[in-house]
Amino acid sequence: MSRLICCVGALAFALLATSANAQSMSEGAKAYKPFVVEHAGKALAGAKKLQAAVKAKDVKAAQDAWIESRRGWEAMETVTAELFPEFDEAVDTWPDAKQGYHAIEAALFAGKIDEVAKPTDRLVADIARFEKKVKGYRFTPQKLLDGTSKLAFEVGESKSKGGESPYAKTSHIDMQENVEGIEAAWKLVFAPTLEKRDAELAKTIHDKIEALEELVKVNDIKDLDQKKVHVGGEELAALMQQAAPKLKLKTTKLEDED
Amino acid sequence: MNGIACKAFGIALAAIAAATFAVVPMQARPITHDEGVLPAGTELNDDQLDRPTELFYSEQNGGKRSYESVLGDMLFATPGIFGGMARKADLSCATCHQQGHNNPKLFIPGLSGRPGTFSTANGMFSPHSGGNSAPVTPPSLRGAVHLAPYAHDGRFATLRDFIHNAVVNEFGGSEPSKQVVDAIEAYIKDISFLPNDKLGADGKLTGKNSEDARRGEAIFRRPFRNDASMSCASCHHPDDFFVDHKVHDVGSGGSFKTPTLINSKSAGPYFHDGRFDSFRQVVDYFDRHYDLGLTGQERTDLVAYLDAVGDADEPITRNTVQAELDEIALFASVLDTAIPQQNGEIIGLTVETVGHEWRELGESFPPAKDPTVKGGLNERRRARNAVFDVVLTLRRIAMASEAGKFDEAARIYAGYRHDAAVAGQVLKAAEAYSLFNPAVREEHFRALDRLVDLADGSSTKR
Repeated sequence: MSRLICCVGALAFALLATSANAQSMSEGAKAYKPFVVEHAGKALAGAKKLQAAVKAKDVKAAQDAWIESRRGWEAMETVTAELFPEFDEAVDTWPDAKQGYHAIEAALFAGKIDEVAKPTDRLVADIARFEKKVKGYRFTPQKLLDGTSKLAFEVGESKSKGGESPYAKTSHIDMQENVEGIEAAWKLVFAPTLEKRDAELAKTIHDKIEALEELVKVNDIKDLDQKKVHVGGEELAALMQQAAPKLKLKTTKLEDED
Repeated sequence: MNGIACKAFGIALAAIAAATFAVVPMQARPITHDEGVLPAGTELNDDQLDRPTELFYSEQNGGKRSYESVLGDMLFATPGIFGGMARKADLSCATCHQQGHNNPKLFIPGLSGRPGTFSTANGMFSPHSGGNSAPVTPPSLRGAVHLAPYAHDGRFATLRDFIHNAVVNEFGGSEPSKQVVDAIEAYIKDISFLPNDKLGADGKLTGKNSEDARRGEAIFRRPFRNDASMSCASCHHPDDFFVDHKVHDVGSGGSFKTPTLINSKSAGPYFHDGRFDSFRQVVDYFDRHYDLGLTGQERTDLVAYLDAVGDADEPITRNTVQAELDEIALFASVLDTAIPQQNGEIIGLTVETVGHEWRELGESFPPAKDPTVKGGLNERRRARNAVFDVVLTLRRIAMASEAGKFDEAARIYAGYRHDAAVAGQVLKAAEAYSLFNPAVREEHFRALDRLVDLADGSSTKR
């Protein structure tokens, strides 16, 4: 918990500093890249710890490392599905008992550590390749808006039957990291420009993000006020889409997807 | 592959898909982990491709459903009128009464005695219930307009009382408005029995029946050997929907109302507590309980008769993207009236329900990271984006309504109707790559089973 507070505090400071300096969305997109690179590094570091724990047959350490690695990955979900689908398919594939986080999760949290060596090796290799790729990647505001609003929409999905990581029971952490990623992308890339063009809408979006962040601060997904998260996620995504033309960006439309 | 070969391959694939459509068994899929609101082992039976057919009295003879019936249908499908845990678990009236019928596989550990039963007063959904009542079967609501009184013990004289009790006492909802109760009542009264060409309007078998069933009909009306004042038909009046509107003690642990036999073939398990799975078991029970002295052949004949009376011409309807779109369009049409009426409550509930239906439909188009679907990546992506688009448009309607900007809500709704029509085309174009295709579905669920097996080995084998 204290680590979370520390992380959030550091992020808030970074966002404040960068937000004040950002002159354009393109610069914001550049400023967002270190966030992605940092979390790719966290995902990789966690995966390597997982690999070591698996070799040592230390189930508890392996589970902790899985959670650590997954935190990093989920914070980048603003970009993984939208911009790096080949890595998303390998790392976050579902339903797949052979590779990715969830294949490892299903076995590892059932205590079957002997069954996760191969997918863990693959996870390390995939995230390492992803980290390398992301370091050389140039993000654009349009794709970041698409990814951010879609992630806000996903956060609002029904969790009545459980979330993304039901076997580790860490779906609430996935959601917290998702919202952190949304917050970082919005504040670094879009907020400064929107504040100049429509301060009221900018404030509304800011408040919605803050509210969503509060809503997902639970210790168990069962404690989630699902209705509020659902509405909050959808409203946030809708407002981001509403902001698109003011940011001189396109709303995510069907015809863009060919 | 050249164009002709490609076309031939496509035709072959279509043929395989069509063949598969007919033979793939669709099984229930219980919740296999305990991260959800409901406990592991819960089976809501809500992801079936084959669904009970639902027909309406108002549409017979070319009629049109009333606004109230449609509104009630939408409310029947929304968790929004329930409270607490039931709402959180996404339960609605339709969870137990699927397509206005029953739910023979419904099972919630701790609340169900056996599949198809449920404790309607329980500590999970109604904290003031003072413990769990004995599990009972949620009855089919087909023809309910003719079947008063209501509830197994017949304690509710009217459907209104029955509805109010379910919403407030059983599922923890707040006091429903008169409009909500009126609408759900109108919907339930509109749900008709399904046509059955084996049964005439007078409750007598038609010519389309076996000799066994005909002999069974005679036995059904024949006085009991130990009490000539009684027969099966003395409670199940064939000329009154096979009911007598009374409760009786038939030795099953209390007095319970006479259930209709119409369309009952798919309405099991039988008796208030679902203790019997088949007509054979029911007949055997009554033979013993009333010492009817039936021969083996007579029992077989009686079962054949019940099969005939309980049948339906088309009991099951295959679900499709179009069927889902039709339902969504129907529910969304509530906004045609609710927005001009500036009815914030109904607008909010409609947006919730229709948005939920869209999202559920969208989940039938597996994303790129689902490795079980090989083709149609662009089609699936477009389908999911289409859902994203329409759900957000709906949300904007709700936001405008909540802000009291009903003109803006109307304007956005006009755009929604256009977007929904476009989205419908996009979704239909992707149907072959969706979970509506049994082959795709089978692969997807097999992969899920492998994952479940990896976790704890408790998957439902398909």
